[in-house]
This record gives sequence, C-alpha cells and structure tokens, in this order.
Amino acid sequence: MNYPVWDIPFLGAGLVVAIIAIIHVLISHFAIGGGAFLFVAELWSNRQPDGERIRAWLHKYATFFLVYTTVFGAMTGVGIWFSIQLASPEGTSLLIHQYVFAWAIEWVMFLGELTVLYLYYYGWKTNSRRLQVWLAGLYFVIAWGSLFVINGILTFMLTPGGWTLENTDIVAGFFNPGYWPSLAIRTLVMFLVAGLGGLLIASRMEEEDALKERIVLFSSRWVLPAALLLPGLFYWYWTTLPVNTARLMAAGATGLGGGRLEVMTLFAVVTGVAGMLIVLGSLLFQARPKALTFSAALALFVVAQIGFLGGEFSREMARKPYVIYDTLYSNSVWKHKAAEPGYRDRSFLSLTRWDPDVVPLTPAHGEWAFRLQCASCHTRDGYRGIVPRTASWTALSGFKWLLTMDQQGVMPPFVGTAEDRAAISAYIQSLHGRTVSAAEILSQARAEEVSRSKSASAPTREVEP
Amino acid sequence: MDDSRRKPDSDGPVGSTEGTPAAVDIPDSRFAEIPPDAEKVLPPADSVAGKASRAFLRRVPIWPVIEFLSHKKVPRHKHSFWYTLGSMGLFFLIVQIVTGVLLMIYYSPSQPWSSVQRIVMEIPFGGLIRSIHHWSANLMLLALFVHLFSTFFMKAYRPPRELTWLTGLALLGTTMFLGFSGYLLPWDDLSFFATRVGISEIEKTPLLGTWVAGLVRGGPDVTVDTIGRFYPLHVVVLPLLLLGILGIHLFFVQVQGVSEPDSFRALTPEKKRYHRFFSEYLVNEIPIWMALTALLVALSALFPRVLAPEADPGAAAPEGIKPEWYFMVPFQMLKLFPGSLEFLGMALTGLIPLLFLVVPFVDRTVPADRRGRVVARLGVGFLAFLAGMTAWGILS
Repeated sequence: MNYPVWDIPFLGAGLVVAIIAIIHVLISHFAIGGGAFLFVAELWSNRQPDGERIRAWLHKYATFFLVYTTVFGAMTGVGIWFSIQLASPEGTSLLIHQYVFAWAIEWVMFLGELTVLYLYYYGWKTNSRRLQVWLAGLYFVIAWGSLFVINGILTFMLTPGGWTLENTDIVAGFFNPGYWPSLAIRTLVMFLVAGLGGLLIASRMEEEDALKERIVLFSSRWVLPAALLLPGLFYWYWTTLPVNTARLMAAGATGLGGGRLEVMTLFAVVTGVAGMLIVLGSLLFQARPKALTFSAALALFVVAQIGFLGGEFSREMARKPYVIYDTLYSNSVWKHKAAEPGYRDRSFLSLTRWDPDVVPLTPAHGEWAFRLQCASCHTRDGYRGIVPRTASWTALSGFKWLLTMDQQGVMPPFVGTAEDRAAISAYIQSLHGRTVSAAEILSQARAEEVSRSKSASAPTREVEP
Repeated sequence: MDDSRRKPDSDGPVGSTEGTPAAVDIPDSRFAEIPPDAEKVLPPADSVAGKASRAFLRRVPIWPVIEFLSHKKVPRHKHSFWYTLGSMGLFFLIVQIVTGVLLMIYYSPSQPWSSVQRIVMEIPFGGLIRSIHHWSANLMLLALFVHLFSTFFMKAYRPPRELTWLTGLALLGTTMFLGFSGYLLPWDDLSFFATRVGISEIEKTPLLGTWVAGLVRGGPDVTVDTIGRFYPLHVVVLPLLLLGILGIHLFFVQVQGVSEPDSFRALTPEKKRYHRFFSEYLVNEIPIWMALTALLVALSALFPRVLAPEADPGAAAPEGIKPEWYFMVPFQMLKLFPGSLEFLGMALTGLIPLLFLVVPFVDRTVPADRRGRVVARLGVGFLAFLAGMTAWGILS
C-alpha cells in the first residue's frame, strides 16, 4: 500500500518477479560454480600432456560463461530490482534500509567479479599460465563472496532469527537460522550447474574425438557432491523452517490437508524430481560419454532450470503469508500495525499513500480494494486466479469470509471496513459475470445481523476484527 | 570394454571356447543355435550375462528381430532435432497411460464429478496426477502437430512413405478423439457444455450427422449415459486403436528407414553421417524425456487443472464456452460463417483433413520439383492459417 499497484493481467506481479528471478538464479549459480570449474580445469589442463587442446575447449566454455553470466545475468539481475520494487515497495524498502552495507559490499563484489573475469578472458593469449590459474581462482573467491552476502538477505526474509523491527539486529538477521544450510546447498548446486555447463560445451565436440570422452567424464563428476550431500542438507534446512511453514509443507503428504497438497509442497516435489533426473542423466553420460549430443545436454540444463523453479518457488511460498517473515504481510500490511486495536477496521484506501480517489461502494472501489489487498498474490483468472478460487462464493459468503481469511495461516489478515469487504465481494461476483451491488451486500449483512440478534436476543457481534 | 570383462586368469587354451559355449556340446534339436553374428556382440560366454543371454536366445530365437531393429539409423544434419518430435509424442503417450491408469483407480463413471473431486481433494498426489494427465494430453497433441508439420516440411511423406504419413494422420485423429472423450469425464461445467456444443456441431453434418450424434451421446442430449459411452471409448477402445496404429506406423519407419531430406540425400556417401538408433540415438532421447518429465511436473504445480462446479444440464450455458485449443479451428470456422452459411463453414472444415490426406499423392518427386516447392509454400500459408485461427479463438 505504498505506491500505485503494478497490475499485470494473467501473470500477476509476483509471477513476473519469479520468472525473472528463476532465470537469474540459474545464471548466478552458474556464474559462481563456473568460476570453480575454470580454476580446476586450468589446473587439470596443466597436468595433461594435451593441455593445449583442453584449454582450447576451455576457451569455448569461458566464452559461453562470459556471455551467459555477464550479459543475461546483469539483465535479469537488474530486472529483479525493477520488478520487486514495483511488486512490494514496502518490502524492498525494508531490505535496502536494513542492509545498506551488505548491498554496498555486494556491488563491490560484482564489480570485482566482472573486472577479474575480463582480465582472465581477454588475457587468454597474453597472460602467463600461472596468472590465468590465479585469476580463475580469484574470480571464484570473489563470486562466492557475493553469494555469501546475498544469501544472508535472502534467508533473512524467511527466517529473520533474532532480528526484529525494534532491535534491528542486522547481524542476527544476516546470520539467521537458515543461513548456513542455504549457503551449503547453493554452493553444491552451483558446482552441479557448472558441470552441466561443461557437458553443454563438450556436446558440440566431434563424437570420434577421444578428448570428448574425457571432458564429459570430467564435467559429469561435478554433479556428484550435490547428488550425495543434498538430501541431508535439505533436511538440515527443513529443520530451520518456521513451524507454520513446516506444517503447511507437510500437509497432504501426512494427510493434514485432507490429501490435497499445498502448492509449496508441489514445488518441492518439482525440485526433487529434477534433482533425481539430473543425477540419472549424468550417470547415463558417465556410462556413454561419447554419445552426448547438444540437445541432450541442453535438456539436462532445462531440467536444472526447472529444478531451480521448484526450489525457489517453494522457498518463496514458504513465507506465506509474509514478505518478511513475521513482520510484513504479502499485501504490504505490517504485522505490528495490524495487531493494533482498531487498525483493521480503518478504510483501506485511506491507508494508502496514493489515494485512488473512488466513490465508496462503486465497482471502481471494489476493483481498487482488490488490487491493493488481493492482487499481490492473486490475478483475476490467471496464475492463482481468484475466479476459480471463489467458484462457490455468494456475495454474502465472500463478504463474511474476508474477515476470517487469515485463519488458515496462508493468507494475511484483511484490513478495511465492511464497505471495503462488500466492494471486493461485489467485484469478485462481477468477475463471475454476476452483477451485485456492494450496497446491497451491506444491507443484506445488516439485515441478517438484526434478525440474528432478535432471535438470540443477545448483543450483536458486527464485523469483529 | 569386452576385454576388461573377461577373466584374465581363466585357464584353458585361449580361443578354444570362442563361439562354442560349453552347454551345446551335445546338439539338442529342442534348442536353437546361436547365430554367428550374435556371438560377436553378446557378452563373453563365461559371464553371467553371457550365459543368461545365450540361454534365452537358444530358447527364444529372436535374434533376427534384434538384428532387424538394430538396422534403424537416424541421419545427422542440421534439421535432425525435428526427428525427436515423434518420440516426444510417444513419451507423452506413456505418461498418459500411466497417469490414466492411476486416475482410473478412483474415477467412477457413475459419480463422475464427485469421484474426480475426491481425486483432487483427498487422494494423496491425486490433484498432481490429474494435472499431469491434463498437461501431458495437451503437450502430446502439440508435439504431434509439430511432428506433422516438421514431417511435412522435410517432405518425408513422398513415396514410398505414403502409408507412414496416412497412419500418422490416423494417430493424430485418434489422439484428438481421445482428448474430446476425456474432456467430458470430470463432468464439470466447462467439460459438459463444451461437449454439448461439440456434439451439436457433429449433429449438423448432413446425412449421417443426426445418427452419429445420437450414437455418441446415447440420446438426444448429453447425459450421464454419454459418459457411459465416452468412458470405455477413452480408456479402452481409442487407446487400443492408438497402440495398434502406432505399431504399424513404427513398423513402417523401421522397414523403410528414417526419411532423409533432399539436402542430406544429395551428399556423397562418405559425408552422410548417422546415429544408430540403438543406442546412440536413444541415449540422447532420454535426457529430453527427462526434461519433459520435469516440465510436466512444473506446469502442474504452476497451473494445476481446476475442477469447475458440477455440471448442471438444466442451467444456461456459462458465457464464453470454448473447445480446447486443438478444436479451435473448426469452432472459429463456424463462427466465420454464421446462419445459412454455416454449411459452407462445415464443408471447408471438412476439407482440412482431406488436404492432409492427399499431400503424398500430389507431391511425389524426389528431389523436390516445382510442384514440390509450391506445395511447401502452400504448407507455410496453411500453417499460418491454422495457427492464426487458433490464436484468434483463444484470444477472442
């Protein structure tokens, strides 16, 4: 409720951020793991009699690496900034203000990363062998340092640890409970991606070439550490999750949710499936290294991209209903404010910094209330669409339900007056093609209250927050 | 590889056991001989795998079948990627069979909607399986359409492969009917009204229309009796038909070999390069199938198939009822020709499969002559027309 909303039809703002981010996350892991790959491959080539040929291949790897990580990495990285500040200005602002120095260090790391990579790549012919090995190693150290920083901010959003709005203990927030398992997982995953990149470049070599076999074997071994250690590390990460998140994620698998899987669990399944497929695929090419073609290597890369999609999506959804866990709700309502008496009964539009200026109880009122309170997660009929989710609603049941929507633990509390709720309910009915006026809903609700109070002859409990 | 598997310390003179396994010292007419070609590729006779494979081949002498299959080779050129579309279709078919069987465990044709609701809401992973079945169906049709057009543009339909082309068209048609019959089974609002509209279009066909529509519906309107017909069609009749035609289709490809585009055919023999289908080509299909598996699960997590409210045959059709995208072209054609012109729209729609059917009999020359080039250009226009109509239908 900071600035005018960013209304993306069908996809929704959150999914736009997610699409940019998952592309970026694959690139950024490759950008770090690839550094280690270059360093180890440099050392390896120095010990081989045909080191020159290996380095000729490595140059192709480095070219792909440079273009893919710097061009597309930078584009999507900036894209994340552009999109998150529109999707959640309030949350972005909090992250910037709390972690000013972390961001500053991060950008110095980026600059150092780019500088060293250019020195390495453009000095390919002129630099000494020693210097090249040294530059590749330095690149990896700096790049991993950037992970060290960003990992603190990312994990902070889900598990802020000892940090609160009052103490603003940023060290406790940075080295939060999820920090170390997440750092270990990402480090292993980036080795895996670096190996898949190696397979991709090796697949272009002539099948008859004996070197292809060696390089495919060398590259596919980079998958092994992740294959062996990730299950245990994910369990460690799981133990750091907030209780509510762990409960939701287990729902369905244990029958808590009546068998229906929480979507977060589904995305975790996606990651598990992708991870197993990558391990099987790399085993396949350990057995048949010469047969690897470009489309097969690309397919494994696509599997990795989908694995990232699953992992990052379930991590993002694990925060439900928060943007910053236990602090800021996904609809940009602060938890401490929502707990203040009377706050949730205030007109929602009056709380916005930018007043859409609508006549109360008109369709425009409903649409604006929807945009501000619902659209941060729900589109109208696209991704997480509101229309299929409200199929069984009547205008009156929707009006009542809004008041209790935070009780399942997956949605934020509703902030707004009965008029706001009536306007949203009428708007949702209009999305189903039914015309109901908001004023009518209000009078129906009041009539119901009156009749109930008469029959029970007890004091009414009108719109209790 | 083989040398390393052999025991270095095995006693007995080297070579004396080559080709003459100990078990056939006394020829027994009940057992078949191992062909010399097979001996060359089988694992060593003293290993477990070697013994098992020889014992099997002596009992079931299928070596000619294996040899027949091993001849299949796939040309390698810059358009080779398109060969994989057929195998993608096969992959989705396998997914459909596996998920379909799983759905059948809880689906009940006498309580269609509530049993699907139970699958989605109560059965562990039921919603996921159902979504995968939905996405796999759509991607299977997409893969088959792309396969159709890539085969068309590579001109693989020309003699002697007319029959492969025709069986391919039959496969596509059967798959579309599988989609149509499966769509009704959840018995929700969308599926009910889309099916009712779809069958009423069939009804308008002259001569046999009324009879055919009544036959598939089981009466004058879509009722639970229609599910009684669509369900066995969807889970028994059409899949068996599909598998039968698929067997013929693949058999033809095996016998005739994979078609080579003109540019590849023009190369000198030493420049032509191939992948043996078993297992060089197949090894590389597996990662693609893996990527599709991951894609199916991801799509099902991102966009799960929603179960709309239970169909109410008495209610008015909700607005904006549309068929699935693969039936959008005939749907839009009928919109283009409203009222008394409807007849014309139906006639033109009926022409579309006919055009596909006659292609291999019109364009026959290898390498492509003037007529072949005209057909290719018409194909581009036709593809643009189909894609345009479909996009228009989806967006309108």
